[in-house]
Amino acid sequence: MLDLISIELYKIFKKWRTYIGFIALGVLVPLIHIAMVLEGKNTINFMTRNIQESFVFVGNLLNTYLISYIILTSLAIHIPFLITLVAGDLLAGEATSGTYRLLITRPISRTKLIIVKFIAGWIYTNLLVFWLAFLSLVVGYFIFGTGELLIIDGQMIVIFERTDVLWRFLLAYGFATLGMTAVASLAFLFSSLVENSIGPIISTMAIIIVFVILSAIQVEFFQNIKPYFFTTHIMSWRLFFEDPLDLKEIFKSAANLLAHIVVFFGLTLFIFKKKDILS
Amino acid sequence: MIFILIIILFANIQAQTNDPNEIVKSVITKFSQVNDYEVDIDIKVDVEFLRVPESRAKLFFKQPDKVKLKSEGFALLPKDGIDFSPSSIIKGNYTAIFERKENLNGVQTSVVKIVPINENTNIILSTIWVDDKNSIIRKVESTTKTQGTYTLELFYDNDFKYPLPKQMIFSFNLDKMNLPQTFTNTTPKSSRRRFKDGPVIGKVYVNYSNYKVNKNLSDKIFEEDKD
Repeated sequence: MLDLISIELYKIFKKWRTYIGFIALGVLVPLIHIAMVLEGKNTINFMTRNIQESFVFVGNLLNTYLISYIILTSLAIHIPFLITLVAGDLLAGEATSGTYRLLITRPISRTKLIIVKFIAGWIYTNLLVFWLAFLSLVVGYFIFGTGELLIIDGQMIVIFERTDVLWRFLLAYGFATLGMTAVASLAFLFSSLVENSIGPIISTMAIIIVFVILSAIQVEFFQNIKPYFFTTHIMSWRLFFEDPLDLKEIFKSAANLLAHIVVFFGLTLFIFKKKDILS
Repeated sequence: MIFILIIILFANIQAQTNDPNEIVKSVITKFSQVNDYEVDIDIKVDVEFLRVPESRAKLFFKQPDKVKLKSEGFALLPKDGIDFSPSSIIKGNYTAIFERKENLNGVQTSVVKIVPINENTNIILSTIWVDDKNSIIRKVESTTKTQGTYTLELFYDNDFKYPLPKQMIFSFNLDKMNLPQTFTNTTPKSSRRRFKDGPVIGKVYVNYSNYKVNKNLSDKIFEEDKD
């Protein structure tokens, strides 16, 4: 099994498109860091201008935690695109290059093949989120240092102690991985249906965009079905920045995402097992 | 004859202690024995829409009005409560009016109203409760033009050497803040959270410890941090 996963990972990382996500984040996050070095104080002043009218405060609020939080907020709905670039190609790529038939004539079952490809896609997803975490938190640490995390939680200003933040980020990135795996599963499902990876990429992004737009429309009907959209729960990493933690909501979101992953993976498996390979 | 003299003397003393300007002057004179101080402070903020961890900081003061807050972490103090020196509370030209005598938490105090004459000041009216025996301010209630009303309660050790408090409770009314919606952490719980309309009462508790008084603090401490 491990050999098969290594082979799939080798195939993934042999393609240059795999590196687009890493390069994009590798450019974008340092750009945000540079912008924050130059303009970060204004951002802090903007966020705290109401407090400053009544209070005097000291401390390093412009720190790696705040910047990582801003980056995660900004990118959590854009990273899915980078995920689909690879996940949408996992099966369709085999069809495009004409290696489907060759692949399934090997002495491994279709079930095993799907599992291996899914795990390889999941590893890529994890690596991309890990890369984001590394660039945001670790590189940010050397530029800005640590400090208290200031966030605006609805109508409240919440400041977390510096010793109370890192674990929240680790869990938030972990949860972001779960959300991105759901996206990868959807792209993987579409990838099993077509013979060109452009289709799965566009379809997955179209679904995400449609769900995000529907969620944003303040009409009761859409607000009622919003909790069932997986896109709603992709952003649930924010729940780790509440005090106290809303465990019920966290588990609900995690269960929703897991259910989507299981259903998308199950459908992929079902479709692929029934698939008539003609290419 | 002696009896009449005693009555006149007693009446004179009473008149003196009821003289608001004398009361204010006695407080300022008492505080003037403190030229500078450095103190460790523990701050606890209790405001409905502001969740801040308890923090430790150092507060530096030097006469007449230099104040500096320093902390290794994050610390936050109300602007009007950072400096409790009488010259800060009663600054500029003012008219003092003796109001009454009042027993405040078991301490006999004179209640004096301070009306600033200068139009530029943010304070419209302050009421101070002055400890008759020790000439120290026990409580201040101020109404401002822009920040509503705030109350400052000061608590001292029984055997204090200098007129410096061991605890301050700063209470204030604050309108709900219009927070920027950028980078907002909107979760189901925060979406459901609703604060009542109108101003909310906030309290900041400050505990002072480890005073270092009259150590001739350098002016450099009070310079702005160059960052």
